[in-house]
Amino acid sequence: MTDQHENAQSRWEKEFEDILKRFPERKDEFQTSSGIPVKRLYGQDQPDYDLGFPGQYPYLRGIQPTMYRSRLWTMRQYAGFGSAAETNKRFRYLLEQGQTGLSVAFDLPTQIGYDSDDAMSEGEVGKVGVAIDTLADMEKLLEGIPLDKVSTSMTINAPAAILLCMYIAVGEKQGVPSEKLTGTIQNDILKEYIARGTYIFPPKPSMRLITNIFAYCQEHLPKFNTISISGYHIREAGSNAVQEVAFTLANGMAYVDAAIESGLDVDAFAPRLAFFFNAHNNFFEEIAKFRAARRIWAKIMKEHYKAKNPRSWKLRFHTQTGGSTLTAQQPDNNIVRVTLQALAAVLGGTQSLHTNSRDEALALPTEESARIALRTQQIIAHESGVADTVDPLGGSYYVEALTDEIEEKVMDYLERIKEYGGAVQAIEEGFMQREIQQNAYETQKRIENGEEIIVGLNRFTVEEDVNPELLKVDEALGKAQIENLERIRAERNNEEVKEKLDILRKHAQNPEKNLIPAILDAVKAYASVGEICNVLRDEFGEYTGS
Amino acid sequence: MEKIRVLIAKPGLDGHDRGALVISQALRDHGMEVIYTGLRQSPVQIATAAIQEDVDVVGLSSLSGAHKTLFPKVVEQLKKRNAEDIPVIGGGVIPNEDIPFLLEKGIKRIFTSGSSTEEMARYIKQLVRPDEVADPPKRIDHIGIAVNRLEDTLPFYTDVLGLSVDAIEEIESEGVKIAFLKIGETRIELLEPLHEQSPIKKFLEKRGEGIHHIALEVDDIEERLAQMKRKGIQLVNEEPKEGAKQSKIAFIHPKAANGVLVELCEQTGGGDV
Repeated sequence: MTDQHENAQSRWEKEFEDILKRFPERKDEFQTSSGIPVKRLYGQDQPDYDLGFPGQYPYLRGIQPTMYRSRLWTMRQYAGFGSAAETNKRFRYLLEQGQTGLSVAFDLPTQIGYDSDDAMSEGEVGKVGVAIDTLADMEKLLEGIPLDKVSTSMTINAPAAILLCMYIAVGEKQGVPSEKLTGTIQNDILKEYIARGTYIFPPKPSMRLITNIFAYCQEHLPKFNTISISGYHIREAGSNAVQEVAFTLANGMAYVDAAIESGLDVDAFAPRLAFFFNAHNNFFEEIAKFRAARRIWAKIMKEHYKAKNPRSWKLRFHTQTGGSTLTAQQPDNNIVRVTLQALAAVLGGTQSLHTNSRDEALALPTEESARIALRTQQIIAHESGVADTVDPLGGSYYVEALTDEIEEKVMDYLERIKEYGGAVQAIEEGFMQREIQQNAYETQKRIENGEEIIVGLNRFTVEEDVNPELLKVDEALGKAQIENLERIRAERNNEEVKEKLDILRKHAQNPEKNLIPAILDAVKAYASVGEICNVLRDEFGEYTGS
Repeated sequence: MEKIRVLIAKPGLDGHDRGALVISQALRDHGMEVIYTGLRQSPVQIATAAIQEDVDVVGLSSLSGAHKTLFPKVVEQLKKRNAEDIPVIGGGVIPNEDIPFLLEKGIKRIFTSGSSTEEMARYIKQLVRPDEVADPPKRIDHIGIAVNRLEDTLPFYTDVLGLSVDAIEEIESEGVKIAFLKIGETRIELLEPLHEQSPIKKFLEKRGEGIHHIALEVDDIEERLAQMKRKGIQLVNEEPKEGAKQSKIAFIHPKAANGVLVELCEQTGGGDV
């Protein structure tokens, strides 16, 4: 800082002292969601930043040199409800509307490995996503959608291997070899234990399934993202921005450790790791968060894991706007929230984006609401001009200061998690869960005492009867899905199913075996998700929560 | 008095338990004993746990859309075990149009997105211990003094005592002009009648100048009035009416308080909005 600047700033401070007396500031202290104090002004007292260049290590400014000037982010709306045929219709509608990738939501029984006729599935079939029991459902879900042209993201974790095998099998039937398939499976079990709850097996066999997928895909699906390491749900469960990044990267390190331990070379699998973050309300903090995450991961991969391939250093991520920020009150206000959050994701350099629909605090989105959400992205992409230059906020005093502070706080957390012995141990001892829970409770208290203002909820409220047109999932669907499953069970070759499941059981007993080929054979014989998971439950046991 | 015991349960396969966890912690802060079941509980497991833990109320949380199937099943299972006296309440992502169905199936109340934990805690206390005196009034909101003419009375308060006048308001509906004087956490309100029909005028004619009423600030004025009514307390207003400065107010009859007119008031505004 030069003397000249110092003089200028102190002159300015002197001048506003009087003004401050007449117009006191709104709060004694301003803070971001992560408790980072926000200064009145960021400026000359900042250090000189070495920002580097987009497409170059450590990728602060973006993972590609041209970013959205070459190709816009993938607009990928998460959808799925009811039957495979119904969801197929919604997918085709979204593709017609200009969406550029698919994202499948599965119902809870599918996500937790129960068939639709299992007693545990009662009331849940087709509710939060599409019900998939056997390959027959997957064939219907993807009917008429060319798998060599459309990339598909599947939000599936504990049974990720099964759904991936179904996708491979449908590709084969369409004549698309597995090498050409593109897409992502979420496959991130650690955050299920922390925040999302759709776990089945204990950590150890779960990590085995994940590294089996890494190994299989390296050979057979080189263009497929084998995992989407997710901070999204950690944030939804109540964490702040710093915790979201810290816990996600800690989980990422646990997967890298497990894969290396299973004998894989880091550069063989690391380029296919993908990430998934949330975009919440605090605009600049969110932008800084994405940039900080990118820089930290690059350093971890290069310096800690000694990866040599630059593609291993790049943190590629999907973003979804924050579901928990939406209000049931005055739901149209949610369109504005989503716009700001989506803009933050774009300014943070996301590779793909899902924008939430205005009615998601009430139910699954209607077709009209889903369209507005997609249009929001298209307006940002094509009308606002923000996609025309790379990292437009790079060099902003405030954004760079926040980026540095977030990085510092994330590193502190990573250190604490290391002291536990890594993410798996920290989760088993409940460390991350407690941190998130505490933050969630404090947030709720701040909202209730009015310290944190949520428009339409604790300020600027109106008397209203919120009863918009909502999407209803047909209650008769569960019955139809069960009948469907019964028909498949009657029509398939049950000898073959039994034989394939027996092979899978034998492989599960041998930790040296990669389980994917046996799962693929079982899937092709129309064994159901529940049947396959039950074999694995027998062998691996079940996780019962912490 | 024993603590209220609450079972918070997650029926079905839904893994979103942020709400359930936050509510559990909030109810504990309100002095309740909270048992959280964890995820993936069947209605049978929930009913069994409610009986084994001898809880006063069961709170169900669901965000997966399975509420219409699962909530009534919990009520049924409690009934099957002769425990239908344990009330069941619910919350989560539940469309308004589903609420009548759930109430009809025996769920006592549904709290939807945006409900406050304060509101829930109050509701549970009321539900489980309807006749237990709710939290005592928080403070004396103001003391009302009837005067013939403000300008004759004010100098004593301002010049002699040194208090300052916050505001002077005319409230047409009550036929009264009020001077507000802040004193610590409370206020003195000087009340001058605006016309002959004003209740203050009648008070002055009958009793002369002097203390007219004491106002106590409470939470949830409706519940408190209902509770008093059940206990046979004579009320001037059985339903709250709108008061000054964004508040709801109601008067208790002086007969109930040995000759003192007591006003209850609840602040409804968000402060200095």
